Amino acid sequence: MAENFASSDPLFDTVLIANRGEIAVRIQRACRELGLKTVSICSEADRQASYGETADHFVCIGPANARRSYLNQDAILLAARLTGAGAIHPGYGFLSENTSFSAAVEDAGLTFIGPDARSIATMGDKITAKKAMIAAGVPCVPGPDTALPDDHATVEQIARDIGYPVIIKAAGGGGGRGMRVVQEPSALIEAMTLTREEARQAFGNPALYMEKFLQHPRHIEIQVLCDTHGNAVWLGHRDCSMQRRHQKVVEEAPAPGIAADIIEPVGLACVEACQQIGYRGVGTFEFLYEDGKFYFIEMNTRLQVEHPVTEMTSGIDIVQAQIKAAQGVRLDLQQDDVVCDGHSFECRINAEDPDTFLPSAGAVTDIAWPQGEGVRLDTHIYPGYRVSPYYDSLIAKLIVHAPTRAEAITKMRTALAGTRVEGISTNLPFLRALFEDAAFAQGETDIHYLEKWLKAWRAA
Amino acid sequence: MSRLDFTDPASLEALTEMLSAAGVEGLEISTPNAQLRLVISVPETVRTSPSAVALKPTNATSSTTVKAPIAGHFHVSHPSLASGAGQFPRSVVASDVIGFIRIGQILVPVLAGRTGLLTRQLAEQDALVGFGDVLFELGPQS
Repeated sequence: MAENFASSDPLFDTVLIANRGEIAVRIQRACRELGLKTVSICSEADRQASYGETADHFVCIGPANARRSYLNQDAILLAARLTGAGAIHPGYGFLSENTSFSAAVEDAGLTFIGPDARSIATMGDKITAKKAMIAAGVPCVPGPDTALPDDHATVEQIARDIGYPVIIKAAGGGGGRGMRVVQEPSALIEAMTLTREEARQAFGNPALYMEKFLQHPRHIEIQVLCDTHGNAVWLGHRDCSMQRRHQKVVEEAPAPGIAADIIEPVGLACVEACQQIGYRGVGTFEFLYEDGKFYFIEMNTRLQVEHPVTEMTSGIDIVQAQIKAAQGVRLDLQQDDVVCDGHSFECRINAEDPDTFLPSAGAVTDIAWPQGEGVRLDTHIYPGYRVSPYYDSLIAKLIVHAPTRAEAITKMRTALAGTRVEGISTNLPFLRALFEDAAFAQGETDIHYLEKWLKAWRAA
Repeated sequence: MSRLDFTDPASLEALTEMLSAAGVEGLEISTPNAQLRLVISVPETVRTSPSAVALKPTNATSSTTVKAPIAGHFHVSHPSLASGAGQFPRSVVASDVIGFIRIGQILVPVLAGRTGLLTRQLAEQDALVGFGDVLFELGPQS
């Protein structure tokens, strides 16, 4: 892939990968290609990990319970100190968007491969994030950029000004939790009271805000890449509307059917926002898109699971770029240099029952992966691998790239047909059926489509 | 990283809390000028030791292993002692310190965890070991 950063002396030569599974493999590959040494960590449940054999150091840091291993900041910092790691890559999930961890890493004299604690804190709180986005000219969902007051009359007036239906959200929430849709005025106050209590208990932050509830939006993302010298670009867009219970299942790049003159100003506004808040590394702006308009919902201040589809279309290795940005290397890439080509899909292959979606732990007895031009597989499993019940059920990401969306769908159908994982249940039957669906093939389906399609598929 | 002040009660309290949270039962810190030994006292009824596979029964009835309670560099004996590794096999009781995990200046003792016959050393001297890595083989008393 292209060299996108001007060279200078790196800040570190050894990276500790504070994660597990496929993303641990992916980060290790990026580090090795950059000539960096790697330290992989594991819990006792992951001692079998293949990336342990290819790491320069492999250290077990705690028991299977993630709280005492992958979420144990002290144990991770200790492993870094013992192995001489100069940087920590958090991957996604676990501690990747944890303000105190980012700060603790930097306080220990190490480099956190991600944004600084201030940026994570700014974007982690939905209200401050919305304020920052409005200041940068990023379009947001209609609604005030302040927390809801306790006064009922004022809240009722805010809802009337926005127009029903509205959605009440926890400022510290995320992942589909801590939100409630209100269709009519009579349900407003009770919804606010319940959501506030949930927010207090689940997130330790009772602050709420209110927005217009969009009925049939799509979920569109914009990927950004920033250095520590004030340079930033956006790397195109993705459509992640295929969601089940707020969990993405299939992603694609670019988002189909959105004209360049509509999305380009939004992409540039995202870049502007990054420069205003002094953002560094990679990040994703998430939007709802309805009737030709974009509405900012949140920013993910980390590497995303679905980053490969953007890598396939942009030709830029996002993980390498993230590491170089953390090394303080200047981004040697102008916006005009970013040219997205063709179409890419990613399927998340999960160890779960295709009908009930319950996790399926156990030993993988045999595997067949697809091959061919434009087919990529990111995985950590192998024949004999035992899928643990302790963690996320994602076992592989199947990614394809082709000149057009229609060709990419055909390629994914072929790739899924050539994929076999024996010994455990997977969602492969469901993915194969989805890629035969006419409406999905047509494109531009909204975030509710998959749930409706699943009901019909199960009934059939 | 700032140097620990052995005379500062707040530092010692913080260190003790970290130690308890990590599940280890004691540590030693040695510098050219001072030596500090902390032992965490836990009621026997709630005591759980990650340094041994199991605590009950306290007598080894079959071969088992003693595992590292935390990641660090393994020492089979106290670094300040001139003598090297102990003899094998040898009898030990549960509370015997049979090795150490060194983290910089900090030494975390490895306890036998049960009474038995220490038959083999499974980790190399000064090797980097992870949490739960096997250090010794412990068999029943003959």
